[in-house]
Amino acid sequence: MTADRLERSAKPPRTLAERLTTFDRRWIFLAMGLAIVIPLLYPLNLPFKPSPMVIALYDTVESLKEEDVVYLSVDLDPASTPELEPFFRAVVLHLKRKNIKIAIGSTWYSAPPLIERWVRDVVEPPQGIPGEDGYQGAPDRPYKKNADYAWLGFREGKEAVINRLGSDLQGNYSGRTSDGTPISSIPWLKDKKRLADFDLVILVSAGSPGAKEFVQQVQTRYSIPMVASVTSVMTTDLTPYYQAKQLLGLAGGMLASAEYEQLVGKPGLGAKAADVLSVGHLVVILAIVFGNIIYFTSRPGGVRWLRRLRRRGGGR
Amino acid sequence: MVKKQLPLLIGSIAGALVVVDLFVPRGWVGETSDQLFEWGQILAAAALVLGGVNLMQVNYPKIRRREEDWPYKVVLLVSAATMFAFGIPWHKIGGAPSAGGVEIQEGGGAGGKATLRVVAARPDAVVKIDGGAVPIHGKTIGKASGEGGAPIEVALAPGPHKVQVFMTPVGYQELDADFEVAAGQTAVATAALPLTWGQEGRFRTWTYDHIFAPCNATMFALLAFFIASAAFRAFRARNTEAALLLSAAILVLLGRAPIGRLINDNLPDITNWIIDVPNNAGRRAIIMGAALGAIVTGLRVLLGLERQHVGGSE
Repeated sequence: MTADRLERSAKPPRTLAERLTTFDRRWIFLAMGLAIVIPLLYPLNLPFKPSPMVIALYDTVESLKEEDVVYLSVDLDPASTPELEPFFRAVVLHLKRKNIKIAIGSTWYSAPPLIERWVRDVVEPPQGIPGEDGYQGAPDRPYKKNADYAWLGFREGKEAVINRLGSDLQGNYSGRTSDGTPISSIPWLKDKKRLADFDLVILVSAGSPGAKEFVQQVQTRYSIPMVASVTSVMTTDLTPYYQAKQLLGLAGGMLASAEYEQLVGKPGLGAKAADVLSVGHLVVILAIVFGNIIYFTSRPGGVRWLRRLRRRGGGR
Repeated sequence: MVKKQLPLLIGSIAGALVVVDLFVPRGWVGETSDQLFEWGQILAAAALVLGGVNLMQVNYPKIRRREEDWPYKVVLLVSAATMFAFGIPWHKIGGAPSAGGVEIQEGGGAGGKATLRVVAARPDAVVKIDGGAVPIHGKTIGKASGEGGAPIEVALAPGPHKVQVFMTPVGYQELDADFEVAAGQTAVATAALPLTWGQEGRFRTWTYDHIFAPCNATMFALLAFFIASAAFRAFRARNTEAALLLSAAILVLLGRAPIGRLINDNLPDITNWIIDVPNNAGRRAIIMGAALGAIVTGLRVLLGLERQHVGGSE
C-alpha cells in the first residue's frame, strides 16, 4: 500500500454535504436525455387547455371568409422546427378547410428548403381527412401551386425587405413567384400590391427578422391585421404587442402549437412534444432544487442563514 | 473632405427622406423612399458576395500559416465552396437536358383499348396517369418500372391522357406530358428524369436535409442540456431577489407545460398573470428605452455626429 493510499484510507468517510458538492453534473445530462426520450416513446397524454392568446389567434383565422387571401411569412431555420412546424401544419389545415388562398414568403436564407418540403407535404396534399389521426374537423382539399397558394420565395435585406413588403410587395419579389410565374397572371394575387391588401398576415418566426420587426416596421404604420407563432424565448418579447392589439393572436412555443392543434382538431407533432415539455421542465426544476440543496448544505451556517432570513423577512 | 463628408451627407439625406416618408408617404417622397429600400436590398445581396470574399481573406492566410485550428478553417472554406457550387443551376448551362417525352406507336392494345408503356431511366421513379384517375396496381401512384427495371404497360381508353413520371425525392426533373392515343396504338413515355442543380437541386437539397438541418438542430437541442446544467450550478437563492426570480421561474416552467394544470388548475393562470403583468411592465420599459436609444442614435447619424460607420473615431 502506498503512502498516498494509506493517507486516504485514514480519512474519515465523506459527509453527505461533501458528497453533494462533488456531484457529477453528467447525471443531470442523463436525466434530461431520458426526460426527452421516454415521453416520446411512452406518451403520457397529459391534458392541456388553450391559452387566451392562442384562442385569440384561432378566432382571428376562424373569422376569415372563403376566398380571403393571407400572407404567411415563414422566418425560421431547422433548429426551431420542433416548436413551429406543428403550428404551421395546424394553421395551414385551418386555412385550407376554409378555402383561403395562401401567399408564402420568407426573410430567412435557411428557410426555403424547409418551406418547399412543407409545401409538398402539407400545403399541396389534403391533411384533414375526418377519422384519420383522430381528426374530427371539416375535410380540406388538395391545393394547387399558383391556383390556391403561391410560394414567393426568399429575399435578402432583413428589415428593409419587411418595410418594402408594406409598400411594394410585388416589387419586392420582382413581380414573380419563386418558380418564375408572373404575379400579374395569378388572379387572386395580382391585386395584392402590399401587405395591407391581404386579409391577414400570419407570421411564423424563430427570431430576427421576424414577428417583432413586422410589427415595428409595417403593422402600426399600415394597420395590418397580424397574428404570430413564435418560439418560447420570443414570447415575452411579443406579449406587449398582443396586449396592445398590434398582434391579434400569439402562439408562443411548443405548448401553444399543441394548443392550436387541439383547437383545429388534429393533434399532431405538438401534442406529442407537450409531454416532453412537461418532463423536461420537471427535470430543470429538480436541477434547481437540487442545486440549492447542495448550496445550503455546503455553506457554513447555511441553515442558520435560512432561519435569519425568515426572521428578517429579507435577504442577507 | 470628400472621403468623409460625402458619405455622411448621403447618409443624412437618405435617412431624412425615409423618416419624412413615415409621416408623408405620398408623391415623390414615397417613391424615392421605396427606391432607397430597393437599393438597400441590392446592397444587402452584394454584401453577401463581399462576405464570401472576406471569408477567404480572413481564413486562407491562417490556413497557409498553419495557425491554431487551421483544419477547421479548411472545413469552413470547403463547405462554403461546396454549397456555392451546389447552388448554381449547372443543368441549365448549355441547354437544359430533356426530362423525356411521349411517342405514339402503332400496335398494342386489345379489345378497343390503347396501351401506355412507361420506360423510366431511374428504377425508383413513380408514375401517375390522368392525375391518379387511372389506377396502377390498384393505387393512384405506382412504380414506373417492373421487375428488374422492365417497362410497365397500362391499358388505356382511347382519347386524351396525361402522364407524370417523377422521383419522390426533390432534385430531379419530371416528365409531365399530355398525349392522345387511339385504339390499337401504344404511347411510349420515355422518362430520363435528369438530376437538377441549383436552389431546388438534388445535391443542395440533400446537403441541406442531411448535413445543415441536423447540425443546426443539434446545436439548438444542446440548449436543453446547458439549461439543465446551468439551473443546477448557477440558479441559487443567494438573496431575496434571486429567490423571487427563482420562484417565478419555477412557476412559469410549471405553468407553461401540461403538468402545471395537473398539479393545480390555477397554475397556468398564475403563469399567464406573471407574463402579462410584471413581465410586460418590465418588457415595455425595455422596449421604450431601446426605442429612445435608437432615436438618439438615428439622430446622431442624420446630423453627422456619429461617424463610426464611415470610419470615424466618434
